[in-house]
Amino acid sequence: MGAERSDNRVDLIIVAVLWVALTGAGLWWATVTNLHPIGASSNAVISDEAFDLLLYLSMPVTTFVVVVLGYSVLRFRVSLDETEDAAPVRSNRLFIAMWVLITVGLSVYVIFNPGFTGLDALAADKNAEMTIEVTASQWRWDYRYVEENIEFLDADGLVLPVDTRILFKITSQDVIHSFWVPAFRVKKDAVPGLITEVYMTTTKLGDFAQDDGFRNQCAELCGTGHTRMRTTVTVLTRVDFIAWVDAQRNAEVSG
Amino acid sequence: MSILKGIVGGILGYLLGAALVTSIRAATGAEPWDFEVATMGAYLPTVVGWLLGVGVWEYWARPWFGREAKPYTTVGWRRYFNFDTDHKVIGIQYLVSFLFLFFLAGLFAMVMRWELMNPGRDILTPSSYNGFMSLHGTMMVFVAVAAIVGAFGNYIVPIMIGADDMAFPKLNALSYWLVPVVVAFLTASFLVGGYDTGWTGYAPLSVTTRTGALFFNLAFLTLGLSSIVGAINFLTTVHKMRAPGMTWSRLPIFVWSIYVTSWLSLIFTQFIALAMLMVVFARTLGMAFFEAAAGGDPLLYQNVFWFYSHPAVYIMILPAFGVTLEILSHFSRKPLFAYKWAVGGMIGIAAMSAFVWAHHMFTSGMPDVLLKPFLASTELISIPTGLIMLSALGTIWQGRLRLHVPMLFALGVVFNFLFGGITGVFLADAPLDIQLHDTYFVVAHFHYVILGGGIFGLFAAVYYWFPKMTGRMMNETLGKVHFWWMIIGFNFTFMPMFWIGMNGMNRRISDYVPNLGGTNRMISLAGFFLGMSFVIFLWNYIYSWWRGADAPSNPWGATTLEWMTSSPPPLENFDVIPEVVGGPYTYGDKSAKHAILEPRL
Amino acid sequence: MTAVGHAAHGVHEAPAKRLGINRLGLWFFILSESILFVGLLMVRFSLLGTYIHEELSQLIGLMITVILLASSFTAYQAERSMARGDLGATKRNLLITLGLGTVFIAGVAFEWHEALEAFPPSTVFGSVFFTMTGVHVFHVLTGLVMLAIVHRRVRRHETTSTDSWPVEASVKYWHFVDVAWVFFYPALYLIS
Ligand SMILES: [Cu+2]
Ligand SMILES: [Cu+2]
Repeated sequence: MGAERSDNRVDLIIVAVLWVALTGAGLWWATVTNLHPIGASSNAVISDEAFDLLLYLSMPVTTFVVVVLGYSVLRFRVSLDETEDAAPVRSNRLFIAMWVLITVGLSVYVIFNPGFTGLDALAADKNAEMTIEVTASQWRWDYRYVEENIEFLDADGLVLPVDTRILFKITSQDVIHSFWVPAFRVKKDAVPGLITEVYMTTTKLGDFAQDDGFRNQCAELCGTGHTRMRTTVTVLTRVDFIAWVDAQRNAEVSG
Repeated sequence: MSILKGIVGGILGYLLGAALVTSIRAATGAEPWDFEVATMGAYLPTVVGWLLGVGVWEYWARPWFGREAKPYTTVGWRRYFNFDTDHKVIGIQYLVSFLFLFFLAGLFAMVMRWELMNPGRDILTPSSYNGFMSLHGTMMVFVAVAAIVGAFGNYIVPIMIGADDMAFPKLNALSYWLVPVVVAFLTASFLVGGYDTGWTGYAPLSVTTRTGALFFNLAFLTLGLSSIVGAINFLTTVHKMRAPGMTWSRLPIFVWSIYVTSWLSLIFTQFIALAMLMVVFARTLGMAFFEAAAGGDPLLYQNVFWFYSHPAVYIMILPAFGVTLEILSHFSRKPLFAYKWAVGGMIGIAAMSAFVWAHHMFTSGMPDVLLKPFLASTELISIPTGLIMLSALGTIWQGRLRLHVPMLFALGVVFNFLFGGITGVFLADAPLDIQLHDTYFVVAHFHYVILGGGIFGLFAAVYYWFPKMTGRMMNETLGKVHFWWMIIGFNFTFMPMFWIGMNGMNRRISDYVPNLGGTNRMISLAGFFLGMSFVIFLWNYIYSWWRGADAPSNPWGATTLEWMTSSPPPLENFDVIPEVVGGPYTYGDKSAKHAILEPRL
Repeated sequence: MTAVGHAAHGVHEAPAKRLGINRLGLWFFILSESILFVGLLMVRFSLLGTYIHEELSQLIGLMITVILLASSFTAYQAERSMARGDLGATKRNLLITLGLGTVFIAGVAFEWHEALEAFPPSTVFGSVFFTMTGVHVFHVLTGLVMLAIVHRRVRRHETTSTDSWPVEASVKYWHFVDVAWVFFYPALYLIS
């Protein structure tokens, strides 16, 4: 019995060391690797920070399970024809208590951070400088710039000024679609009979040719044309944007 | 023969129903023939006709009308193609049927991965891609919902609790014979050109899209019916049929998992029935539930659908947890660790599953005030789920692990589910889910849960109970090859999907932006590799059934009741009624006993 | 319904045990079915709040409700007479129940006829109304079929007071269908 107990202690120490080492390695990997594509809006910061925090928090949990699993398989395996039983340990109060405390603690923590904090941050600023009405239908996107009073039916692209807080008002004319710009980390369903809203601030210049995250891709299955239901997105400097708006107006007048 | 009679019955039923509907339409002055309306009206007569023909009339209903019921065949292979009430026959019917569906749906996945191997169009039109994708999803969901419960719940649970059969053997046969109806409707949907709504069948798309969607709705409705009937049976069986001494705290964990799952099926399946009914009525009778212009609510469908379909995720995974914990204990030769916590975890998951459905709808336009409650409830469900992990790890720790094939698969479940579960925490975080929702991150997540957890659990169960069910052993070496091949293929297929999901690959598309081409090609190749692993399995499965070595009654040296009777067990399972005198996992305690089987006087 | 254990294998449990099993199974079934009705109520309130179409015939609604409640009473009487072994009264009460149930369906059919003009299925109220009453009438119909089979069996002395489960089961189911209507009636006709 005494021998068994000291065995257990050695096992525990090895597992603890492996766990710390693997967690450290995992965290190091998580910090040096950029898993995120280009982020070009205020919402992207919130989203990516949430991901990173969850990745850090989940690292020790994942490595703990992997280490215990892997170590047990290697250390406690016996040959297939072995028939002797293991010691009948049915419970271990300390282990169960720790496990429950930690999972409860982590679950509750992530509810508040990054959960509630992220939601609050996304909803914090409801003052937009610019409103764009996005209308989806099978299978096209229509954009209407409310203040500028210009409209694009079956649009090829969405053009926006940088460093601008924008309100998207999204709706659909037939089935459910979803307005998604990967670079903005913005996704909101286009629902017939409902106007859904998204606020975000553009933070980076860019266009589809430079990075394909700058696109509005329909993200909710809407039938045959779903795959192709996308337009480019371009973020211009504010000066360029004003010029672009003027050009559109002139084109409209002459056209 | 009975299948033929069933088909005739089904066709007669369809003709009768369609004729009735058509004449009513003619009488009211509407255009008489409308395929969808006729089919809707003919649904019930078709199902009833099939069931009556396949055996309900001959074996069951005749006494209601004062006639003699036909006696059952009790021996020979024919009864596997017959309306048979033996739970062991039904278990095998379920197993073979759903393995068939699994491989078929897997082939569809291969077709999809072929199309996705390169940017641009390869072999499928966007429309046929949607068709394969929808059928793949639907069939796999059906497999995940019904395979373990139907096959091993039926075969093993009655034996594990020391019963001679299920509580309602005829209802049991009925719930199985609804499965061919499900398959028939899916086939019909394929024949009329498929449907493009995915397995989620969101309205209003499902209302306006092509006719195949109707058959999808009817198929899901029928599977729901089968699940409910099965759930009633399992619940009654576990409550009423336990052998003397089989108290609740002596139930093997697998029985617990089926019991808890059955509660979920009993309660929540009605909501899928409701969702499907509303879509069918919207399609055929022009009902306006989801029509915004008429004052309906397009989001209503999603609420009702996910109110079933989130709990359905637990219907898929809880039985796999049960199998896994069961196997971990037996092959670690150690009692299940924290048994009561594991049971509590299962009950906790089931109870909480009613309060999390809207986490599928964070981007749907649901009221903002509901985001926080659903975020919170969803994150909290990882607590009871963690208890399952606790039990698994505690069981193998300091065990004496014999790495037979079932054990490998059970360990595989723990490993794969870890990633499925952890990424669930990411998706539950609403601010982050905005980006990840409807991307391949989600695809990866639920494949880790359902394929990595549920289907690995299914294979664990197949390898574990195959000797009991067939009286033959499966080939151990081929089994190990299958395991390593499958788990490597699986992880190489689905791990990169997390990454492409984060990097802008959304779900249910037949084409993608060019820079995702490299990873997609790698995923496709890994996917084909994964697909090929099942060839090994199939060979092993068929050959072993045909020619495998004879299985002793207890090849694994396990302690639960199913191993105390012959392989396969006799009709009614035990020669004597077992008397249960202790817990199910008596390892490490020579004096402990689970049950005694002594001849009745 | 008339489950007698393993007709397949020729082994029978003690009848008392079988009765307990049958009863529990029936309760599970009723529990599950009632969830469907709860779901329909949830749909009704989420789509329409407490709105009621003004052309809904309150008179017919009240009449069919009274008729259905009366049928529950006669069904109860049938079960009681069965327990007493009074087959004559059992048959009579079953027959009255069958008649009242048929009248109920006729009432709903008449109301549907009116409703098709006032609020067809293409309106939201019509969708809710036709689906709720439709699902309910379907349950009434299955109940009637069960009662009719049981009536025939009692008439031919195939079901006797020693094995009265078919009577009990069909009557319990009938009560369930009535209770479901007790919730549907105010939700469809009265709340506003
Ligand atoms: Cu789309
Ligand atoms: Cu869910």
